[in-house]
Amino acid sequence: MTKDRGPKTETTLARINAVVRRIIGAPDYSAYLRHMAEKHRECTVLTEWEFLDEQLTARYSTPGSRCC
Amino acid sequence: MRILKALLWSCVALLGAGAFGFLALQRGEHVSAGWLLTAAICSYAIAYRFYSKIISAKIFALDPARQTPAERLADGRDFVPTNRWIVFGQHFAAIAGPGPLVGPTLAAQFGFLPGFIWIVVGVALGGAVQDCVILCASTRRDGKSLGQMAKEEIGPIAGFTALVATFGIMIILMAVLALIVVNALRSSPWGTVTLGLTIPIAIIMGLWMRYVRPGRVLETTAIGVILLAISLFAGRWVADSPTLAPIFTLTAIQLAIATVVYAFFASVVPVWLLLAPRGYLSAFVKIGVVVALAGGIFILLPPLQMPPTTRFIDGTGPLFAGKVFPFVFITIACGAISGFHALISSGTTPKLLANEADARFIGYGAMLSESLVATLALIAACILTPGTYFAINAPAGLIGTTVESASQVITQWGFVITPAEMTALAAKVHETSLLSRTGGAPSLAVGMANIFAKVLGGDGSMALWYHFAIMFEALFILTTLDAGTRVGRFMLQDLGKHIWKPFGRTNWYPAILLSSAIVVGSWGYFLYQGVTDPLGGVNLLWPIFGISNQLLAAIALCVGTTVIIRMGKVKYSFITIIPLTWLSIVALTGGSQKIFSADPKLGFLSHANSLASIVAGGALPAGAKNAFEASRMIFNDRLDAAVVAVFMIAVIVILADSARVWLGVINGSRPAVSTEVPFHARTASAQP
Repeated sequence: MTKDRGPKTETTLARINAVVRRIIGAPDYSAYLRHMAEKHRECTVLTEWEFLDEQLTARYSTPGSRCC
Repeated sequence: MRILKALLWSCVALLGAGAFGFLALQRGEHVSAGWLLTAAICSYAIAYRFYSKIISAKIFALDPARQTPAERLADGRDFVPTNRWIVFGQHFAAIAGPGPLVGPTLAAQFGFLPGFIWIVVGVALGGAVQDCVILCASTRRDGKSLGQMAKEEIGPIAGFTALVATFGIMIILMAVLALIVVNALRSSPWGTVTLGLTIPIAIIMGLWMRYVRPGRVLETTAIGVILLAISLFAGRWVADSPTLAPIFTLTAIQLAIATVVYAFFASVVPVWLLLAPRGYLSAFVKIGVVVALAGGIFILLPPLQMPPTTRFIDGTGPLFAGKVFPFVFITIACGAISGFHALISSGTTPKLLANEADARFIGYGAMLSESLVATLALIAACILTPGTYFAINAPAGLIGTTVESASQVITQWGFVITPAEMTALAAKVHETSLLSRTGGAPSLAVGMANIFAKVLGGDGSMALWYHFAIMFEALFILTTLDAGTRVGRFMLQDLGKHIWKPFGRTNWYPAILLSSAIVVGSWGYFLYQGVTDPLGGVNLLWPIFGISNQLLAAIALCVGTTVIIRMGKVKYSFITIIPLTWLSIVALTGGSQKIFSADPKLGFLSHANSLASIVAGGALPAGAKNAFEASRMIFNDRLDAAVVAVFMIAVIVILADSARVWLGVINGSRPAVSTEVPFHARTASAQP
């Protein structure tokens, strides 16, 4: 019983982490990796830096991401 | 079961109606904030349960079996099917900025009732409808933006108007928000140092996420929050230091220049270095403070000191001129209806919906939550005594610069405040003076500090809570400023490339620097005008901002109406036509009063004329040191009149252009064909 606790708490923490990250608007690299692994195995994936740069640059160049 | 449900909803309706009735009829006693909250929450529940269903069931017939763009176009980047609660949180964090805090605070000059009624009724019939309809329409069109939809549903003229309106509203928004920060920080070393430190904090976070612990957003944000807390104490330490305090005691002009320079640099450096970490920090703090404020008010249910209505509904108010109609509806945009939300409802959010039926909960529901934030801000402003409220918010041009003169003028208005009370309050929050800190942020901060100190820390913690609240407001105002400047730059480059091609190159430094300079110069000009205005500037800029935001809402509602009519659902088009009609009346009445009113306090042109006649008489108007400044003030009045006129013309153009399409569809000369992406059934494996 106690052995299960460790990984379970860890997944809960990971989930909270993912939820809060998305709410404050941080790009989700792991979701991107999952998607590429599922749908586009043949493509080379962007590195985390490349992905973040692409996402953040896009986010801060359209008026659709923040309000008054 | 049906009977039980009907009974429950009848109870909610009765409770809400009862609370409203009590608010409207009570006389004399101070009302508890609990009545406002009861009336608001019951209204929201009824509106959500019954009114939003017309949009989800009758108009769009949202179908959980239909594939959403997030599923069909999944790319792991923008299109990602996401849990409804997460989308709700993200959407809420994106729509709730400083707007719903400032507008209700300013509108409290009419008393709490006019603003409150508009916040509750406006959101149910207007704001939430707009957000939800645009979200549904965009979701059915692969997440197209408002501008694209305006172009495709109505026509190129409407599309272009939407583009120009968006740019115009951003310039005015940034000017007025910067002015609010300047007024909150002027001659306040504590506030200035604390806010100034948020810049290196964000940079440290950016570098940390880039080089030390890549991708650790949450851990880094937690460090950022701790550093913020430290900066709060650092600010106090500087303010207490006889050598350092004078260095950071800045005038309004110095702060305005600093803000413009900051925004310029923030918008040209890489996003990861400053904008992104700052955005995370601000979103984090924002949600935390909103929850804390709600908690504090729900626990305390403080009595409102402000009367339901004040004498200023006649248009003689000190914060801004103009009668309760139309100006309460212009002053409170965010919280009741905000056109800006249409950009978010057609931006990130539609690309995240895992199930299109969630559009009701997210589009309509998140806007109801923002309306609740506006109600909380109104409550926080109204728990101050009216005397305190007016002393903080009325411009120096009216109440003078000493506590004695302020007390005397405010007593003449019929509210009580003694010089000693004002001095004691300033000392309590560790400021030299709280007089004429126009813009709403400081009075809201005093209100919030009152609430927080009562729940946690007691009277002695007022100063800390006050500066915490100022930092919180200023933090996310700056976040809007730097991000907005960058977005404005991209929009300008996109427009400008038609004139001079290299200007559109977004990775060519000369073009970047030039376009950023134009954007900060534009809002900086209005900011400077506001800072040097003897009446505090907010009375000047906030109504222009309100009108521009209503214009954008009118565009969004025109797009919504067109979408509904082209779906062949003319009989349900009332849902967008009701708020559209009201907003058009409000924006056009308010706009024409701002331009043409014979009262120089209200009308820009008559104010220009009154200045001109003073100059012609050989004297100088208040606030002008020489003839050049006087002529610049006259020019500014005419410029403001022209800006409002452009916004009004845009409303008329978009209405006429849309009406042409509606009539065409109704009389059969145009096919009633929806431009939605055809139905694709969801696959079982795609269930999130």
